Amino acid sequence: MIRLENVSMIYRTKYGSVKALDKVNLHVKEGEFAVVRGPSGSGKTTMLLSIGGMLQPTEGKVITNKSDIYAISKRQRAMFRAENIGFVFQLFHLVSYLNTIENVLLPAGVGKDKYGRTDAEELLKRLKLSERKFHRPYELSAGERQRTAIARAMLKHPRIILADEPTGNLDPETSDEIISHLAEFHRSGGTVIVVTHGTAVDQYADHIFHLEEGRIKKSV
Amino acid sequence: MTAFHLIGKEIIQRKLNFLLSLLAIVTATALFVSFFTTGQSSKRETIRLMRDIGFNLRIIPKKTNMEEFWKTGFSKHTMPESYVYDLASHRGISYAHLTAILQKKAIWRDREVILTGMAPEISPPGKKKSPMIFSIEQGTAYIGYELAHAIGLKNGEVIDIFGKPFTIARTLVESGSEDDIRIYAHLHDVQGLLNMENKINEIKALECLCLMDDYSTDSLTLLRKQLARILPDAKVIWIRSIAQARAKQRFMAEKYFGFIIPFVVAVCMAWIGILAFMNVRERQQEIGILMALGYGSGKIAFLFLGKAVAIGVIGAAVGFGLGTGLALTFGPAIFKVTAHMITPQIGLLFWSLVTSPAVCALSAFIPTIVAITQDPALTLRKE
Repeated sequence: MIRLENVSMIYRTKYGSVKALDKVNLHVKEGEFAVVRGPSGSGKTTMLLSIGGMLQPTEGKVITNKSDIYAISKRQRAMFRAENIGFVFQLFHLVSYLNTIENVLLPAGVGKDKYGRTDAEELLKRLKLSERKFHRPYELSAGERQRTAIARAMLKHPRIILADEPTGNLDPETSDEIISHLAEFHRSGGTVIVVTHGTAVDQYADHIFHLEEGRIKKSV
Repeated sequence: MTAFHLIGKEIIQRKLNFLLSLLAIVTATALFVSFFTTGQSSKRETIRLMRDIGFNLRIIPKKTNMEEFWKTGFSKHTMPESYVYDLASHRGISYAHLTAILQKKAIWRDREVILTGMAPEISPPGKKKSPMIFSIEQGTAYIGYELAHAIGLKNGEVIDIFGKPFTIARTLVESGSEDDIRIYAHLHDVQGLLNMENKINEIKALECLCLMDDYSTDSLTLLRKQLARILPDAKVIWIRSIAQARAKQRFMAEKYFGFIIPFVVAVCMAWIGILAFMNVRERQQEIGILMALGYGSGKIAFLFLGKAVAIGVIGAAVGFGLGTGLALTFGPAIFKVTAHMITPQIGLLFWSLVTSPAVCALSAFIPTIVAITQDPALTLRKE
């Protein structure tokens, strides 16, 4: 379960303060598929990073699995992320000097549970990347890079996947493929929150939140 | 995927950054190693040269009051003339010139003069050396400039000194010292004039040195110890000029390297620090994603400091090899006398392996702090 209670986020810049989130309240139950939609600059990514324990809000609480993740230490929060959350980004953020399987294995370097090469190879097979396991990111297509990022997010069987514009750089066909992988994760019991402009993901969504100027204007 | 694996992969990927950092630490380590490897030889060579140059000594009676000695220029006490022969015949001491002297102030023709008796210079056995000081025949005298000038004495003139006739062998040129009021004569003549047979009050020993190969003590201390054994009633004054110049030269060299080494180390640290900082900037997104995946600050710091330590370890090994190679190649040409003492100093490898990684880690410390304190959301946020 993920709950945001009156979450506000203000960025202070040399040109003044920018309110990215303004008293946002949101509730996503475990195993649900939620979509956050809104125009650029509406605060979608800020909200996603706050949920993932990467960006402490200026005000309010982010409660995940009944505990406020900003009430625990930075180290505990990192461990929480390692064991519970998988991130997928629009720009993939693969490590350039690692090949596909090494990128997928990156989360295995932290946390208590041991996941190894067999798990990674299994995931690559599922995501049709077995042929590309020794390729570097620059040798992959955009779709393959995003599938690698999804495999990396799924390696440790997290409870939550947070995806920030996962299809933003992909063609419609590849986008559908990526969304289907997220839907598959959801079907297996995982919680998914996707930030997106598009509507292709709507068919899988349990909730759709419309974010504008840092506020949730509509919730479906 | 271990941290070591990530460090290794990153080094292979960003070779230029790695090689430039490595170059810095190799340079610093090689300089350090070559200096210390040849430094040991330099130290030995200085000792050896000091030994070979020898010391210029004044040997005077042990009872001499030094305050008075420096005031008058000679001792009022005496020691046996045999001392000079004991010294000359001792096998453990080498010398270039030995002269026995007896000097005393006296009033002659209503003038205060320094009556100076000098024995012929003794050269080492088998080595005929030209005398450092003039050699005086018995029955002749050398007259100081001031005295000759004031009284109007001329070469070849016969003068009476305390009832004994002396032919003036030479009137001396102006020296600008108390020598200008001296009357020099043969030691035995002066001993006779002063009723001090077989007595002397100074031995001048030029280029005197101890022949024992003992590097644990400095050569002057060693020489003094040896002389104390041979001449129990004498003490030794060191005329510093030559030795002092040599010591000064060495001190200057040490001072020079004392500046150069910290300077090179500081430049290398700044160099490595800048490269580490550039590396952090280049890897901002990577740091962000690692944090998103749950890597804590400690683990991320380990990636940067671990890389710095790896550079330090490799740099230490390469720098040690290079520095030793330089010392072995060029050292013998510089330190010819002790060239055989320039050998690889394995102890320096240990110190290089300790200090180089520490220096690298220290250089990368601030960039590492920047890496772990940066806001990952800044690089991951894409609105």
